[in-house]
Amino acid sequence: MRKYFAKSVAVSAAALLALTVSACGSEREGTTPSGGSSGGATGGFAADSLIGVALPAKTSENWVLAGDLFTKGLADAGFKADVQYAGASTTVADQQNQITAMTTKQAKVIIIGATDAAQLSAQVDAAHAAGAVVIAYDRLIKGTANVDYYVAFDNFKVGELQAQALLEGMKAKKPAGPYTIELFSGSSDDNNSGVFFDGAMSVLQPLIDSKEIVVGSGQTAVNQTATDGWKAENAQRRMDALLTSTYTGDKTLDGVLSPNDTLARAIITSIKGAGKPIPVVTGQDSEVESVKSIMAGEQYSTINKDTRNLVKASIDMAKALQQGQTPQVNDTKSYNNGVKVVPSYLLPPVIVTKANAAEAYANDPTLSALTK
Amino acid sequence: MSRFKDLQKNLFGGTTSNARQFGMIFALVAIVLFFQVWTEGLTLSSGNLIAVVSQYSYILILAIGMLMVIVAGHIDLSVGSVAAFTGIVVAKLMQDHSIHWFLALLIGLGVGALVGAWQGFWVAYVGVPAFIVTLAGMLLFRGANQWVGKSQSIAVPEGFQTIGGGFLDDIGPNTNFNNPTLLLGFAVCVAVIVREWQLRRTRTRMHADPTPLWVAAIRVGVLIAVILFATFRFAGGRVGTSFPISGIILGVLVVAYSFYTRNTAAGRHIYAVGGNSRAAELSGVKLQRVNFMVMMNMGVLAALAGMIFVARSRASGPQDGIGWELDAIAAVFIGGAAVSGGLGTVSGSIVGGLVMAILNNGLILKGIGADSIQMIKGIVLLLAVALDVYNKRQGRFSVIGSITKGFRGSGPSTPSEPPAQKVQTPVVG
Amino acid sequence: MSSAPVLLEMRNITKEFPGVKALSDVSLRVRAGEIHAICGENGAGKSTLMKVLSGVYPYGSYDGQIVYQGSEVRFGDIRASERAGIVIIHQELALLPLMSITENIFLGNEPKKNGAIDWTGAQLKALDLMARVGLEEDPDTLVKDLGVGKQQLIEIAKAFAKDVKLLILDEPTAALNENDSQHLLDLLRGFRERGITSIIISHKLNEIEAIADSITIIRDGKTVETLDVKADGVDEDRIVRGMVGRELTNRYPDHTPKIGDVFFEVRDWTVRHPISADRLVAKHSNFTVRRGEIVGFAGLMGAGRTELAMSIFGRSYGVFEGGEIFKDGKRIEIRNVSEAIEQGLAYVSEDRKAVGLNLLDDIKTSTVAAKLSKITKFFKLDEVAEYEAAEGYRKSLRIKTPTVDEGVNKLSGGNQQKVVLAKWMFTDPDLLILDEPTRGIDVGAKYEIYGIIQQLADQGKGVIVISSELPELLGLCDRIYTVFEGAITGVIDKADATQENLMKQMTSNKKMQTR
Repeated sequence: MRKYFAKSVAVSAAALLALTVSACGSEREGTTPSGGSSGGATGGFAADSLIGVALPAKTSENWVLAGDLFTKGLADAGFKADVQYAGASTTVADQQNQITAMTTKQAKVIIIGATDAAQLSAQVDAAHAAGAVVIAYDRLIKGTANVDYYVAFDNFKVGELQAQALLEGMKAKKPAGPYTIELFSGSSDDNNSGVFFDGAMSVLQPLIDSKEIVVGSGQTAVNQTATDGWKAENAQRRMDALLTSTYTGDKTLDGVLSPNDTLARAIITSIKGAGKPIPVVTGQDSEVESVKSIMAGEQYSTINKDTRNLVKASIDMAKALQQGQTPQVNDTKSYNNGVKVVPSYLLPPVIVTKANAAEAYANDPTLSALTK
Repeated sequence: MSRFKDLQKNLFGGTTSNARQFGMIFALVAIVLFFQVWTEGLTLSSGNLIAVVSQYSYILILAIGMLMVIVAGHIDLSVGSVAAFTGIVVAKLMQDHSIHWFLALLIGLGVGALVGAWQGFWVAYVGVPAFIVTLAGMLLFRGANQWVGKSQSIAVPEGFQTIGGGFLDDIGPNTNFNNPTLLLGFAVCVAVIVREWQLRRTRTRMHADPTPLWVAAIRVGVLIAVILFATFRFAGGRVGTSFPISGIILGVLVVAYSFYTRNTAAGRHIYAVGGNSRAAELSGVKLQRVNFMVMMNMGVLAALAGMIFVARSRASGPQDGIGWELDAIAAVFIGGAAVSGGLGTVSGSIVGGLVMAILNNGLILKGIGADSIQMIKGIVLLLAVALDVYNKRQGRFSVIGSITKGFRGSGPSTPSEPPAQKVQTPVVG
Repeated sequence: MSSAPVLLEMRNITKEFPGVKALSDVSLRVRAGEIHAICGENGAGKSTLMKVLSGVYPYGSYDGQIVYQGSEVRFGDIRASERAGIVIIHQELALLPLMSITENIFLGNEPKKNGAIDWTGAQLKALDLMARVGLEEDPDTLVKDLGVGKQQLIEIAKAFAKDVKLLILDEPTAALNENDSQHLLDLLRGFRERGITSIIISHKLNEIEAIADSITIIRDGKTVETLDVKADGVDEDRIVRGMVGRELTNRYPDHTPKIGDVFFEVRDWTVRHPISADRLVAKHSNFTVRRGEIVGFAGLMGAGRTELAMSIFGRSYGVFEGGEIFKDGKRIEIRNVSEAIEQGLAYVSEDRKAVGLNLLDDIKTSTVAAKLSKITKFFKLDEVAEYEAAEGYRKSLRIKTPTVDEGVNKLSGGNQQKVVLAKWMFTDPDLLILDEPTRGIDVGAKYEIYGIIQQLADQGKGVIVISSELPELLGLCDRIYTVFEGAITGVIDKADATQENLMKQMTSNKKMQTR
């Protein structure tokens, strides 16, 4: 008995060891630097390859919609899709881990909607080195030479359109200035926030300088107007504070530049709460609630950046890459991420007010129903 | 049959109580194997193992400090904010004043020590509960992070990135493996053998039955097999990658803090304070000093974790550290620490943290969404601790709780003489 | 008495735990209206028996029969036994300190009116119940503001609120001082006159002798005998014989003291209460200890003995006001516990579970806890040295445990106390202060602990014993100081000491200055 036992133990131990050694193959074999060359056309890859999509937390409808469209669109195109959202509280680390996991799974293309554009460069480098093509979706990833493409709406243009709509709306209510307005910008860790703001200011600044427009609180710097984490509660809190500090008595507020719909509604809520008349408030993203609000005459405008088009453009890039072609870009000089100018494909945004809503949302079953 | 019992009893560590730690390690192995099968081999692939280590090393470093805080009967909710605050300060220093990265690292540790001392002062000398002090710290240092960094992300230079994103360099002859990693692995194997030999010697000196040689051999064999497996995996990753520097930092800290908590008087004082603070005080333990030290140490480790994360992310951002305290606390409790203090081990917490890490990683590899992963992690934490509580109540061995003891002591399983030795009652009959 | 009907009969109760037979064939007959004592050493099975009776161990988990008020009962839980009028008052009081007397009395049993708690009615009922147990307090007083004695009375009032027919008291006087104990015993006599039956579990045999009508003795899970106190002429020695199974000729080991010179002296020691600044818990106290001497400190609960001892032991109680300590003729400064240990002082506290031991530790960890420096080599704790130290004490102090790896929470009170003694002996003290060293410990273990104390004295150490049990001080000490309201009121040599003269000095505020 004893002997058998000792023997069996020895045998199993040996087996274990053998297993171990046999499992020790190196991933270095054969895979020597495949990265680096994958920036452009690489001769394509299998049609059923894995395409990874890493999106931020589901804090706005747009991201949820984008995720659904990617899942469906990539599958329709014959790819295997892995669409991931970051968790609501642990965004950056989640996204880092997800991108790494996609790399491990040998995704051929990784499309990233970054939560913090500055903190993903290491993962992007690793993905690129492993042979994946990295496409920055909507938000440009900074600090790495390994972002291959950028797909987005023309965000500077978004800002311009918002400012123009703001002016238009105020003029319609009160033909002559000066107009009193307040400015809101997005989360300061989002590269786009600054772009929107700069776009808007390119229109507004001359008018502020000529005193035709007055910023009631005097807060015009990006860090003063920023809304942390794009959170509605932060915008509402700031608006509450502004109303208390600046708009007591009969001082009126004519307009608010809001960078997106979620914040626009928070701002309107705050103003309504204070019992003030609703000023002209801009927005962006065409969220359902905001479209309703526009139709009800509360929010003035939003921007239609049809997520469908953006997702479609991204998937088209993946398809082109799969076939070994160079994806189409239309801007090769504007978007510098600190290391290089990233070839970009920019889509034009559309401004929507109550007047053109029915026309603008004609293709969208949900939204067009709201405009009737 | 008795041989099987011998094996079970002695395979991992060598004492009766150590048989229980088998359960926890078994759970870890089971989770690893489960995901290995489910992800079709991705879990134990070189790339993924390397990723797991660099993704979770900073959480595990936090767990070490948190273990000591929890053992002393406190909690620290501020670690994420402290990490973020240190990260931004260091990033800012390097960006604005172009300080050498190593100096910045030292300054960062100093900042952590100061922050820890600040919190330790309130906890130890003023007597404000740590929950409140660190809740305040959570707000205070989160705000400070955003104030210093103006809510912007700030990039850090390449040298600094090594501590979070660096790997052992490829040096020496081309073996198709990373040579330093191989050497490291072999060194650990030697250390395991030496440690086993020392344990046997200690047990002999304590007149305890030494573990049967064949059991010891299997134990060492299995351990070495696992280490070698890991070594070749880490050494065989994509060129340019190998065992992460952050993993080495973690390893050094685990060894150092295990020794500190188990084998030094100061470490044992932490357990004494958490187990019964009044009794500890009356045994000459300087209560305030211990509490202060524990909080301050947490500050230093939080700072280190923060810097490693910043190095890995190549930038410090306003969202750094959010939710880390919860991950660290979960690791410690899954690893068998008691909510009321006095129980828990560094190694247990590391195992607990690894369970969470592998779970998280495996689920991400399978493309499970972050929302579902949070739910699953929540349930796992609850069930792990509930099972432990249930087992304790049933008087059965507590899988988690008693690992604690197992990790702490390595005493004999039986005394030199039979316990049944009749104790004579000195009552005249 | 013996003609009264039987209220409760437990027949052939057997209760097994995995691997242990806690009770085998235990029988108990309690007559209506009597005070029935249950005696036995720790671990004899008294508490288990009461847990069976009260339904903590539900019907089905034990063998045997319980007949109560003439019919068999099968309690499934505590509520069931309480509904039948059987109420246990445990040693550890189950009161909520931050609630008022009224709230505590009716906790879980709140009188309701229209679904809401009827606090007015509760107040009135509480006053009535408090009168029955002789407690004169405002019913809104918070329990934390009351002494242990009064808290005990609240527990009894709580029992009355549940309409008690059989009152079971587990060590009711263990934490009470002489006066409160007397009051409680008087109360029990009063209950007897009103026809309420009581079962009392106690280690204080003098009390049992004084109050019980009959006594059931349990040893090793078996009923040994039931004695009728009056008819059988039972005295303490008789009870002890039943409990330990043989004659105990001497409760204290023989000892010839080897007393040397004075080596430890405290002069003019004054300490303020930690919270109420105008209260002095030690008033200009002076005392001396000689080498090889066992010095007793007698006093009522709250007299300030513990406070005095702890303030000397590294100022671990109260606020230091003034005073000097001399050791071997030299004035020494002790500002904290670690300095006290350095100076060779050791303090074994009165409450070993709350402040004496870390119950999460094992024996060997506990043994070395107060002097880790002794086993530290180059910052590393020497596990072998630790093991050897603990193993040494296990043998020399006869700590009943299979191994020193056992958790101290698994030990009996006596063995825990030995571990605490070992912990302090390990610090190589010159002066040991033992605060209530035998509280809650059974007779056999007490004897052993007395022996250890005498050995320590014979090694030339000084020993101070603080005890509420005068016979213990008389049996053990060479000299006894009496303490009253924070002041030392006198000192009596062993030869001259009697319970009477000690008691007189313990209760008088006339300070007699003696050395």
